[in-house]
Amino acid sequence: MELLLMLLAVFALAALAPLLYSFTRGNTGWLLAIFPFMLTAYLLLNIPQTMTGHSVQFDWMWIHGLDIHLAFYLDGLSLIFSILVTGIGGLILLFTGQYLGNAGLIGRFYSYLLLFMGSMLGLLWASDLITLFVFWELTSISSYLLIGYNHEDEQSRRAALQALLITAGGGLLLLAGFLLLAQIGGSFSFHILRSSGRSIQHHALYPLILILILFGAFTKSAQFPFHFWLPNAMKAPTPVSAFLHSATMVKAGIYLLARLNPVLGQTELWHMLISTTGAVTMLMGAILAIRQVDLKKILAYSTISALGTLVLLMGLDTKAAFKAALVFLLVHSFYKGALFMITGAIDHSTGSRDIRHLSNLKKSMPMLSVSLILASFSLAGLPPLLGFISKELVYEAKLQAPNAAWLITSFGVLANMLMVALAATIVLRPVFSGKSGVAVKHPPSAFLLVGPIILSALGLVVGLYPQMIAASLLEPALIAIQAEVTTIKLALWHGVNPVLLLSLLTFLGGVIIYILTRLYPDHFKKPLLSQVMKADTMYDDALDKFLKLAKQITLFIQHGNLRYYLFVTLLTISGLLLFYLLTEQMAITLPVLAEIRVSDMTLLVLILLSALMMVLTGSRILAIVALGVIGYAVALIFFSYGAPDLAMTQFSIETLSIIVFVLVLRKLPKFSRLSGRLSKTRDAFIALLLGGIITVISFLVMHQQPTKEASTFFTENSYTAAKGKNIVNVILVDFRALDTLGEITVLAIAAIGIVGMLKLKNQKGTSSP
Amino acid sequence: MIISILIIPLLGGIILLLSSKRPRWHFTVNFLVSSASLIAAVIVLTQTVSGRILTLQIGNWPAPFGITLVADLLSSVMVLLTAIIGWAVAIYANKYVNAHQAGEGFFALMQLMLFGIYGAFLTGDMFNLYVWFEVLLIASFSLMTLGSTSRQTEGAFKYVLLNLVASAFFLVGIGLLYGVAGTLNMADLARKAAMMENTIVLQTVALIFMVSFGIKAAVFPLYFWLPASYHTAPIPVAAIFAGLLTKVGVYALIRVFSLIFIHDTNFTHTILLIVAGLTMLSGVIGAAAQNDFRRILSFHIISQIGYMIMGLALFTPLAVAGAVFYIIHHIIVKSNLFLIAGIVERIHGSFDVSRLGDVYKKWPLLALLFFIPAFSLAGIPPLSGFWAKLTVIKAGLDIRQFAIVFVALGVGLLTIFSMTKIWAQVFWKEQPITKEHRNTGNNPVWMELIPVAFLALLTIIIGLLAGPVFEISNRAAEQLLNHKPYIEAVLGGGR
Amino acid sequence: MRSLILNTALRFIAPIMFLFSFFLLVRGHNNPGGGFIAGLVAAAAITLYTLSSGVSYGRRLLQIDARLLTGSGLLLALISGIPAITSGQSFMTGLWLEKTIIVIGKLGTPILFDAGVFMVVLGITSNIIFELMEHN
Repeated sequence: MELLLMLLAVFALAALAPLLYSFTRGNTGWLLAIFPFMLTAYLLLNIPQTMTGHSVQFDWMWIHGLDIHLAFYLDGLSLIFSILVTGIGGLILLFTGQYLGNAGLIGRFYSYLLLFMGSMLGLLWASDLITLFVFWELTSISSYLLIGYNHEDEQSRRAALQALLITAGGGLLLLAGFLLLAQIGGSFSFHILRSSGRSIQHHALYPLILILILFGAFTKSAQFPFHFWLPNAMKAPTPVSAFLHSATMVKAGIYLLARLNPVLGQTELWHMLISTTGAVTMLMGAILAIRQVDLKKILAYSTISALGTLVLLMGLDTKAAFKAALVFLLVHSFYKGALFMITGAIDHSTGSRDIRHLSNLKKSMPMLSVSLILASFSLAGLPPLLGFISKELVYEAKLQAPNAAWLITSFGVLANMLMVALAATIVLRPVFSGKSGVAVKHPPSAFLLVGPIILSALGLVVGLYPQMIAASLLEPALIAIQAEVTTIKLALWHGVNPVLLLSLLTFLGGVIIYILTRLYPDHFKKPLLSQVMKADTMYDDALDKFLKLAKQITLFIQHGNLRYYLFVTLLTISGLLLFYLLTEQMAITLPVLAEIRVSDMTLLVLILLSALMMVLTGSRILAIVALGVIGYAVALIFFSYGAPDLAMTQFSIETLSIIVFVLVLRKLPKFSRLSGRLSKTRDAFIALLLGGIITVISFLVMHQQPTKEASTFFTENSYTAAKGKNIVNVILVDFRALDTLGEITVLAIAAIGIVGMLKLKNQKGTSSP
Repeated sequence: MIISILIIPLLGGIILLLSSKRPRWHFTVNFLVSSASLIAAVIVLTQTVSGRILTLQIGNWPAPFGITLVADLLSSVMVLLTAIIGWAVAIYANKYVNAHQAGEGFFALMQLMLFGIYGAFLTGDMFNLYVWFEVLLIASFSLMTLGSTSRQTEGAFKYVLLNLVASAFFLVGIGLLYGVAGTLNMADLARKAAMMENTIVLQTVALIFMVSFGIKAAVFPLYFWLPASYHTAPIPVAAIFAGLLTKVGVYALIRVFSLIFIHDTNFTHTILLIVAGLTMLSGVIGAAAQNDFRRILSFHIISQIGYMIMGLALFTPLAVAGAVFYIIHHIIVKSNLFLIAGIVERIHGSFDVSRLGDVYKKWPLLALLFFIPAFSLAGIPPLSGFWAKLTVIKAGLDIRQFAIVFVALGVGLLTIFSMTKIWAQVFWKEQPITKEHRNTGNNPVWMELIPVAFLALLTIIIGLLAGPVFEISNRAAEQLLNHKPYIEAVLGGGR
Repeated sequence: MRSLILNTALRFIAPIMFLFSFFLLVRGHNNPGGGFIAGLVAAAAITLYTLSSGVSYGRRLLQIDARLLTGSGLLLALISGIPAITSGQSFMTGLWLEKTIIVIGKLGTPILFDAGVFMVVLGITSNIIFELMEHN
C-alpha cells in the first residue's frame, strides 16, 4: 500500500506543480526536491528488509476478466534502480530551479519531470507485466513532453516525435511480447512467470516472444540500430538529458532484461541476440562520441556506448556479468548525471558547450572543475574511483563470457580506450589549457553545484570504500535476478592479473588515441561508419516516403468522384456475391414460363421497356415519365394480387412524385451527357451483373418453403384482436405501428430538411445578382 | 422502461418542432430532453447490467409477429453512450447553434436523429431496424445541409446517396430473408437460421447485410461517404456523427453476425477479418495524408472501426468483448476530439493545422483536454484506448492470428503519429502569422469546456477503472455468443 | 399552369377529394383505405389546387400551417400509444371503446394513430409543394 501511496503522491505533486510554481516561482525547485529525497530515505531504510529477502508488496485486481493486476513490489533489483531515480531526481530538481530560472513554461516542466519520476518508479516497482507496461509507456510520454519542452523550436518537436515513435513503436511490440508471454506462462505476474521459466523457453513461441520483448528493451535503451533518437533527444533542457536520457529512463530496457532474465534467460538465443546488439552498440557509441565537439553530444554518444555495455553484460548472462552490470549501472549514473549537470552549469555560466571554446575552467569555476575531473576519471575508469572497480568487473565478466570471449573483450577494450580519450578530451583542454579562459557571465550558484559535486564525490567515496554497497545494494539485487545467495567482495586492488593488464592497456591505448585526436583533428571528422551515421536521415526519408505514399493511396481511394464511389460499392457487393455463388454447388430451376399469367407478362414487358427507355433517353421529362410508368405498372401488379390499398398508395405516390419531379426539374441546369462510351459500358456491365445476381438469388428463394406463421397470425387476429377487417391497415396502425411511427417521423424530418435546403437556395439566389 | 428511451427524444423532437417560433427556448428544452434521456438510459443499464434481458412487445402483440424491443447489455450500453454524447453536445451546442438555425429545426432534428439511433440499438426486428436506419439517415442528412454552403451540400449529397444504396441493399436483404425464413424477428431468425438445412440464400443475405452495414459502418472499401462529408457538417453535429453514426453500422454487424449469420464463420468472419485489416490500414494512411483537423479525425474513425470489426471477426468471447470495449472507448473519445476541434476553430479561426498553433502556450487547459482523448485514441495507457486495444490484440494473439495483430500494432503506431501531428502543429507550434488569417479573438467558454472535460474525465475513469468496464463488455459478449437467454427473453421460454 | 377550366373544375373536385379522403380515413380499418392513402389523396387535392391557383390559395385551403399540422400529427400518433402505458400495458397496445359507430366501426387508439398518420402525410406533402412552388 505504501508503494501505491508514494506513487500517487508523486503524481499528485506533478499535477500541483504548475500551481505551486505560480506561488513560489524560483523556490519551486528545492521545494519539490524535498519529496524525492524523502523517498530516497524511505528506500534506504528499506535496505535491511531487502537484504533479508523480504519485499514490500501491493496488489490490486485491476481487470478481473484478464487477470491483470495493478501490483507492485520492492526487491533488491528495483531498490537499486529506484534509489537512483529518486536520488538523482531530487538533485535534478534542485538543479532545475536554478538552471531554467523563470523563463518559459516552467510549472509544466516540473510537472512533466515529476510525472516521469512517478512513471519510472511505477515501472521499477511493477510486479505485473501490464502494470510495468503502463508505466513504461508513461515514461515515453513524459520523455516526449520533456524533449519538446522548447515547443516552438521545430528541431525540438522533431526530436520529441522521433523519440516517441521509436520508443512507442518498440513498446507496441513489447506489449505483444508480454501478452504472448503471459498466455504461455499462465500469468502476468513476475512471481508466477519466474517459476515457469523453463517451460516457457521450450515453447515454440519462445523466439518470437523474446524478439518482441527485445524490440521494446532495445528501443528504450537506444541500442543499435535504434540508437539515433538519443543524441537528438539532447534538444531537451539539460536536466532532462541528465535525468531521463542518461541516468534513468534509458536504463529501463536494461532493467527489463534483468527482470525477465529468470524467465527468458539462459538460452542460446538470449546470449546471441543480446550480447551481439550490446557489443555493437558499445563500440559504435564510443566511436561516434569521440567525433563530437558539443559536450552534450559527446555525453549522449558515450551514454549509448555505456548502454551497449550494460546490454552486453545482460546478454552474457553470468553471475559475474550481472555483478559487473549492477556496479557499472551505479557508477554510470553517478558520473554521467554529474557530467550532464556540469555541462548544463558550464552552458548556463558561459553560454557555450563547445569543447573547442571552453578553456581554463579551473580558474573561473574551480569547484565545478574538481567534480568534472572526478567524474571524468570515473568515466575513464581510473583508480581510485568506482569507475575503476566497475571496469575491472566488466573486463572480468567479458573474459568469462560463454561465447566469443576474446572478441567481446577486445571490443570492450577498444570502447574503453575511447572512453579514456574522451575523458581526456573533456577535461584537459577545457579545464587546464588557455590563460584567459572563457568569459563567465554568472558564476554557478550553489544549487547548480550541489548535484554534480554529490554525484562525482559518490564515485570517489564508494570507490574508496566499495564494500559499503556490496552487501546492502548489490547482493539483494543479484539475488533478485539469480535467485541464489551470493556474497560480493569489491576492492580496488586484486593483485596482478589479466584484468589489471587489460586496464593498463586500456589506459595506454586511450592516451594514444587522445594524442592522435589532437594531432589529426580533421581526420576524426571525416565521415566514418557512414551508414550508421545515416540512421537519422534514413528515419527522415522513411517518414517522407510514407507521407508521400499515404497521399497517393488516399488520393487513389478517396478521389472525390461520386460515380467512382458508387461503382466500387456496387462492384464490391457483386464481387462478394458472385464469389460465393460460384463456390457453392447448387441447382437453379427457372420458373416455367407457361405458369406465368399473361397479365403479369404484359406488365413485365412494360416495365422492362420503360426501364430501357429511362436509361437511354436524353430527355429528363421522358425519363421521369418512364419512371412513372414503371411505378404504375408495379401498382397494377399489387392490384392484380389483391392488394388495393397498396395499389392506391402506389398510384398516389407516383403521381405526386412526378409533380414534384417536374417542379424540381425546372430549376436544374440543362441536361448534358458527361460520360463517354467506356464509362457507360462499365456502368451497364455492373448494373446488369448485380441485377442478374439478385435475380438468381430470388429464384433460389422461390424454392424455399418458409413457415407462414406470420400471415396466419395476422389473418386470424386482425378482426378478433385488433378490431379491423383491413389487414394491411391493421398491420400499419397496430401490429407494426412502431414501423409506421418511425416512417412518419422520416416524413416529417424530410419535410424539414427539404424546406431548409430550399430556403438556402433561395437566400443564395437573392444575395447574388 | 425501455419505451421511455424512445418516447423522450421523439416527444422532445416534436415539441421543438412545434415551437419553431420560439428558438430561444430550444437550447434549454433540448438540454432538458437530453438529460431525461440520460437518466432513462442509466436506469435501463442498471436493470440489464446483471445480465437480465429486458423486452417489450410493442402493442402487446406476441413475438415474432409484432415488433419487439430488446435491451440486452450491448443495447443498453449503446443507448447509454448515445445519451452521454447527446447530453454533452446539448451543452456544447449553445455557442455553435444560433437562433436562426434553431428555428430551422436544428435541435428538433438532433433529437429525432437520436430517436433513430436509440431505436436502432433497441429493436429486435429486422424491418424495424431498417426503419430506424431511415430515421437517422434522413435526420443526419438534414442536419448536414441545414444552413450549409454548396460545398457542404456536395458532401452531404455523397453521404446520403451512398447510404441510400446501403439502405436499398438492406431492404433487398430483408426481402430475401423473409422469403427464406418467414420471419424478421431477430430472435426468431436466430432460431430458424440454426435449424435451416439449405443455407445458400441465408449466406447471400449475410453478404448483402455485410455490405449494407459495412457502408454504414464505413469499412474498406465502402467508406467513401465518411471523409467526404464529416468535415462539412457543423461541429456539434459532426461530433455526434463521429461518435455514433458509424457505430450504428458496427452494432448492426455485431448483432447479425453473432446472432443470425453464424453457420459458416469460416467464410463470413474471414472476410470480416480481411476487411478489418484493410479498414484499419487505409484509414490511418488516409489520416496521415490530411492537413485538416477534422479530416485527420475523420479518417481515424475509419481506422478505429477496423479494430472493432477485428474483434467481431476473431469471434472469440474475448475478441467480441474487445470490440464492445472498443466501441465504448471510441464513442466517448472521438466525439470529444471533434468538440475540441470546434473550440480550436472558434478561437483561432481555422481547421487547417498548418495555419494553427500556440494553443499549448495560450490555453493550457484546452491543451490538456485535447491531450487526454488524443493519447487515449493513440492507445497510451492507462487511458481507455489502451485497454480497448489490448483486449482485441490479446484476443488475436490468443488464437495466433499474428497477421492481423501486427497490422493492428502498426496502425497503433501510426495513430500515435497522427495524434502527435495534431499536437505538434496545433498546440505546440507557434502560430504562423498570415495576412488572410487572423485569430477570431474568442476565448474558450465554460459552456464548451464543461462537456469536453466531462468526456475527458470519462476517458480517464474508463482507463483507471477498466475492470468494471471490461466486465460489462465481457458480459455483453457472453450474451451475444450465447443465444438461448436472448431467444427465450424475446420468444418466451416455452418455445 | 393556370387555366380557367382547371381552376373552375377544381373548385368542385377539391371538396370531393377531401370528402373522399376523409371517407378513406375513417373506414380504413375495415375496408381499403387508411390514414396514409387518405393523406395522399388530400395532399393531391391541395397540390392540384395550388398548382392551379397559387400557393396562397393552397395555404388558405389547408387552413392550418403545414408544419404545425405535421408536428401535431406526429404528436397525435405518439400520444395514441400512451394510454396503454398508463393502464399498465405495453406501449401502443390498442384500447377500444365498446360501442360501434356507423361507417367507422369501433373507436380505439389505433384509429387515433391512423389520424396522426393522415395529418403527417398531408402536412409534409403540402409543405413541400408550397415551398417548391414558392421558389419556382
